[in-house]
Amino acid sequence: MGETEVGAGLRAELRAYVEEAFLYLHPDIELHDEDQFLELGVIDSLGFVELVEEVQTRYAIAVDALEITEENFGSLDALVAFVERRRPS
Amino acid sequence: MTTLDADLRRAAAQAPNKEALVAGDRRMTFAELDVAANALAVRLHALGVARGDRVAVLLPNGAEAAVAIYGTLRAGAAFVPLNPTIKADKLAYVLADCASTAVVTDDALAPLAEQARGQAPSVREVLRADDGADAPTGPLPAPPISVDLAAIVYTSGSTGRPKGVTLTHANMTFAAGAIVTYLGMRAHDRVLCVIPLSFDYGLYQLLMCVRLGATLVLERGFAFPGRVLELLAREEITGLPGVPTIFQVLASAGAGGVAHDLPELRFLTNTAAALAPATIAALQAAFPAVRLYSMYGLTECKRVSYLPPEQLDARPDSVGIPIPGTEAWIEDDAGARRQPGAVGELVVRGAHVMQGYWNDPEATAQRLRPGRWPWERELLTGDLFRRDDEGYLYFVGRRDDILKSRGEKVAPKEVEVVLHQADGVRMAAVVGAPDRLLGTAIVAYVVPHDGAELTSTALRCHCAAHLEDYMVPARIELRDTLPTTPNGKVDRRALADEAAALTVKR
Repeated sequence: MGETEVGAGLRAELRAYVEEAFLYLHPDIELHDEDQFLELGVIDSLGFVELVEEVQTRYAIAVDALEITEENFGSLDALVAFVERRRPS
Repeated sequence: MTTLDADLRRAAAQAPNKEALVAGDRRMTFAELDVAANALAVRLHALGVARGDRVAVLLPNGAEAAVAIYGTLRAGAAFVPLNPTIKADKLAYVLADCASTAVVTDDALAPLAEQARGQAPSVREVLRADDGADAPTGPLPAPPISVDLAAIVYTSGSTGRPKGVTLTHANMTFAAGAIVTYLGMRAHDRVLCVIPLSFDYGLYQLLMCVRLGATLVLERGFAFPGRVLELLAREEITGLPGVPTIFQVLASAGAGGVAHDLPELRFLTNTAAALAPATIAALQAAFPAVRLYSMYGLTECKRVSYLPPEQLDARPDSVGIPIPGTEAWIEDDAGARRQPGAVGELVVRGAHVMQGYWNDPEATAQRLRPGRWPWERELLTGDLFRRDDEGYLYFVGRRDDILKSRGEKVAPKEVEVVLHQADGVRMAAVVGAPDRLLGTAIVAYVVPHDGAELTSTALRCHCAAHLEDYMVPARIELRDTLPTTPNGKVDRRALADEAAALTVKR
């Protein structure tokens, strides 16, 4: 699927963050871009609070509580789409 | 009719078509829950699970967990609710400790149960909870009676080994009844439970709703506040039990004007850690018509006290008065009752007090002592309290070193034991540090053996492989030495001060 160069860079950046912040605790898990963090046990309830805070500061996005959903934060795919859509251009 | 099993039978008889459970896209009536529980009971009985046996329930929040709990009770057995993030060695320890004869789980967790089973020879069957679609019928043993064991709930023990809190049907129906009384709950209530059913705070939401014939909406955690806010509105939720993390999010969403979408919301309950005054103020401003309850309890008696919401403005830091039908008071070390304002240990009496720790008379003797009557025992909570002139209770601190992180008890010793099992660890000490999100963050100080190549990341990985998620240290600090007290013990106070100064961000 024709992802832009910017999109690919963002994807790599977010994956690196997720690996560094959460995935290292679960060396047995192989994370695909479409995998649900929660279902796989990579990120728990509290981890999402951390993830949301990171997204807000790193990309200067104001995230409303109502936006913290599976559709926006549930997987790497979801995260990339959300940040692309919402970050100041 | 004072058993949990009788509660379900009554609800199914009185309101068979009423919604009992909503979980994901599944909806179950009381009649369906009753049929499914019965079907599981028949299966358990056929597998040889006898009256009084222990059956472990290893499931995330969902209809299956409710069916597993009530199916176990219908079979006359006691359920042992387990956190789905439990690891194999601890699971094996718990299964062996209570000599579980069966484990009810799902496809995702079955491999873990199979792995643990190798060290727990009492386990005859690992079975999947199902929804009773092909409800088998068959013989069942006589229903449990009120003095029978209903559940063993494991809690972190200061020795580093989990302890099983034993509760009878009478204990649990009494506590559930007292709580619904002070909350003023009714059959038309709809409660949203995002707290795990493996944690007694979550578990009792189910027991209370079934007892009342009210509806329980089950959700797997609070990871997605947007989803939870949507559920609150869509399911017309009247009551939400939470912990401070959840209410912080709700308060900030409330400021954004969510309240007008939630006209049915009637009460919020908080326990496990105190709400910050700012959170209380924000919730009151956003939800002026909602009653907010501050509560305090421990698994050994479920709940000790609650603050009537109308007292919240006058005493925002109080956890209130004993729950209906119970007594609680404060003693000095010699056992004399203390005057208002003086600090001492909180002691509790009532029908909610546990029967003891499973298989552990020594630990039981430290917590339960003979009471006013020959048949009675009083609970020494291990928590330091004071009361004001009107009798309202205030939590001061713990007597032992048990920490409360994310609302769950963590014994530093249990984490230290796991750290000591890692290669290259010479010393390990675990303390708590205040944390905005966690209440208390777990911080570990580790001294490596000479020449050992240790990293904090590798040690956290090791912890994550052996401990439930909430017990994994948020931070691990490597040191050459640890501070000691004059008599040569690790100086935990100094470490705790140091940890607090690190202002752990997580």
